[in-house]
Amino acid sequence: MAGSAVARPLTGRAGRGTGRLALALEPWVYLSPALLLLGLVMFVPLIVGFTYAFQDIRLLNPLAGGWVGLKNFETLMGDKNFRVALVNTVWWTVGSVALQFLFGLGLAMLLNRAFWGKRLVQAVVFLPWAVPTFLSGLTFAWLLNPVIGPVPHWLFAMGILEEPYNILGNPDLAMWGPIAANVWFGVPFFAITLLAALQAIPNEMYESAAIDGATAWQSFIQVTLPYLAPMIAITVLLRTIWIANFADLIIVMTNGGPANATQILPSYIFTTAYRKLDFGYASAIAMALLLLLFLYAVLLHQMRKLMRSTT
Amino acid sequence: MRKLTMAATIALLASAGGASAQTLSLVEVITSPPRTEQLRAMVDQFEAANPGVTVEITSLPWGQAFERLATMVQGGQTPDVVEMPDRWLSLYANAGQLVDLTPYLAEWDGTAELTDATKAFGSVINGQTHMIPYGFYLRAMFWNKKLFAEAGLDRAPQTLQEFYDYSAKIAELDGKYGYCLRGGPGATNGYIMMMLNFLGENKYFNEDGTSTLDDPKAIEGLQFIVDMYQNGLVPRDSVNWGFNEIVAGFYSGTCAMLDQDPDALIAIKERMPAEDFAVAPMPLGPAGKSFPTIGYAGWSIFQDSEHKDVAFDLIAHLSSREMNLEWSKFVGVIPIHVGAEQDPFFTGPNFEGWFVEINDDRWEPTSMPTYLEEFGYFADVVSIQGGQEALLGQRTAEDVATEWADYLTPAQQKWLAAQ
Repeated sequence: MAGSAVARPLTGRAGRGTGRLALALEPWVYLSPALLLLGLVMFVPLIVGFTYAFQDIRLLNPLAGGWVGLKNFETLMGDKNFRVALVNTVWWTVGSVALQFLFGLGLAMLLNRAFWGKRLVQAVVFLPWAVPTFLSGLTFAWLLNPVIGPVPHWLFAMGILEEPYNILGNPDLAMWGPIAANVWFGVPFFAITLLAALQAIPNEMYESAAIDGATAWQSFIQVTLPYLAPMIAITVLLRTIWIANFADLIIVMTNGGPANATQILPSYIFTTAYRKLDFGYASAIAMALLLLLFLYAVLLHQMRKLMRSTT
Repeated sequence: MRKLTMAATIALLASAGGASAQTLSLVEVITSPPRTEQLRAMVDQFEAANPGVTVEITSLPWGQAFERLATMVQGGQTPDVVEMPDRWLSLYANAGQLVDLTPYLAEWDGTAELTDATKAFGSVINGQTHMIPYGFYLRAMFWNKKLFAEAGLDRAPQTLQEFYDYSAKIAELDGKYGYCLRGGPGATNGYIMMMLNFLGENKYFNEDGTSTLDDPKAIEGLQFIVDMYQNGLVPRDSVNWGFNEIVAGFYSGTCAMLDQDPDALIAIKERMPAEDFAVAPMPLGPAGKSFPTIGYAGWSIFQDSEHKDVAFDLIAHLSSREMNLEWSKFVGVIPIHVGAEQDPFFTGPNFEGWFVEINDDRWEPTSMPTYLEEFGYFADVVSIQGGQEALLGQRTAEDVATEWADYLTPAQQKWLAAQ
């Protein structure tokens, strides 16, 4: 078809114009089913959710309804729970991503060498990723329970806790429970992706570094890290956005408690929408979260650009 | 396989029975596979006694039951008989969708044997009887005899002052606590009971719809729980405890007292020798009264049913003394017949507390304002968060109680206006 469009005799400016237009439009025609589908499943819900944020949609109040402008966002500004959840979200995300990354990198380095039974170890290491999060959340919640689980007694024996109690009940420590479960759950992801990147580093680089007299640490800093950098940037970006949106473990383990100590924005959105049945306000919180993640993505994108231009 | 043969039998019966065959549909909403099997066995007996009648049971998982039943009813697939939990009764009864059972009960010979509570709780809406409850979930105090003995105590506390003092004594033992406090999911009942106990009245709202929870006496009740937590009489983790944790805390001997419904007895009996614990009535408040929360569920008939008479025969069968006794033992509820406590299963110290509460008027079982649409959010979120903040000392009991009252008052006033 493209060929016939080009081969059509040129009959003056107008004809040439429509021909060019048709030519330019043609790929979009082919793409249209996919675009339509994408638009339907991605943008329509997004836009509907966006409009909710400017409406009063409380299912329990039949008098509610209609456009309220920025009222939901004004409430948001004065909402103490929102501020708490915002700080907790940052804490939860940074803590989880940093630990997952460090352990994942370590694990990938360990697996990136030949040893007996490597395949089996690899398979086992990747297992947590396959366990449903609800199950791992419940398991960790019980592990941390001093009546049934061993962890509080270990922590007590090591002198970390002054008595064997459940850290999920202590507002200062509670966040560590879901973070621990999340690290256990998320380490395999980093290990898998970083291992793949490690295996792509040509061995000659290490050999020449060794010839130049580099120590193990130096070759890690000078060879391994620069090669891994693009992969690290993309995985950290992805994981940050996933984890900031990831409320399953928190809902299962603490339900945001005690007294909001583990409430993050997604769990706050969930309770507002499905317990309070206030969809307007829940959408406003969701918009705030979306904006924050968008800013973060832009920032990281700029950083990557900067990094690329300096190297 | 069994299901398959059953389905085949039903199909066969339906085709063979011809015009005289009647098919009743029954929806159960609080389900588990063994529970469905128990119900099926009871219904089988009914079918055997009533040739030509078949009963189809539909089991809805509790988590989705509310939406599923509502969808069925709206879509015209209304069942004949339904298992009706207390918190949905007002919704369906006020919408005129349930049959008034009064004329049926007047003729049924089992009516005289029902306890007063059974008749009363089945008839809470507009003075009509919309269900026959099949049993009651009532709070009573489990106490660990061994731990009590270790602390030099030999009986359950009878007043809240004793409850506090005994808890303090037990908490002096190493790693032991007086009370299994529930501060996590489901904590609402505990706070409300204590607030009513100090208030001395079974009253959530004044005439004008304002909540009583910010009454200074009610605030004292909340403060009582906060004091127990902050003085170390309960485990510090309990701020997050839900049903599983408090029950585990009790049978593991971590905390010596637990307020629970009879269904917790099933889990506790499996793990604790029967002679190691007993169940006492809830301690009495300063006014000499106590208000343990009560919950119940029962059988109702839908107005749309085309076989109302047979449907009543079915619920009469399920509510008969023999069937109800079997059912309440299985499910873990207080049965509905006068004198049911004479059954060997219910005699003895493991059940005593509940029957005292039912039969002695110093105890007034209280039913929470579940008829308010806003109550779900109050129970699931507002009361839990506020309670935890009070326990952890982030807010005062007064501040929290005021927030609760401010939340419930408009809800009640809205409800009053709609009546």
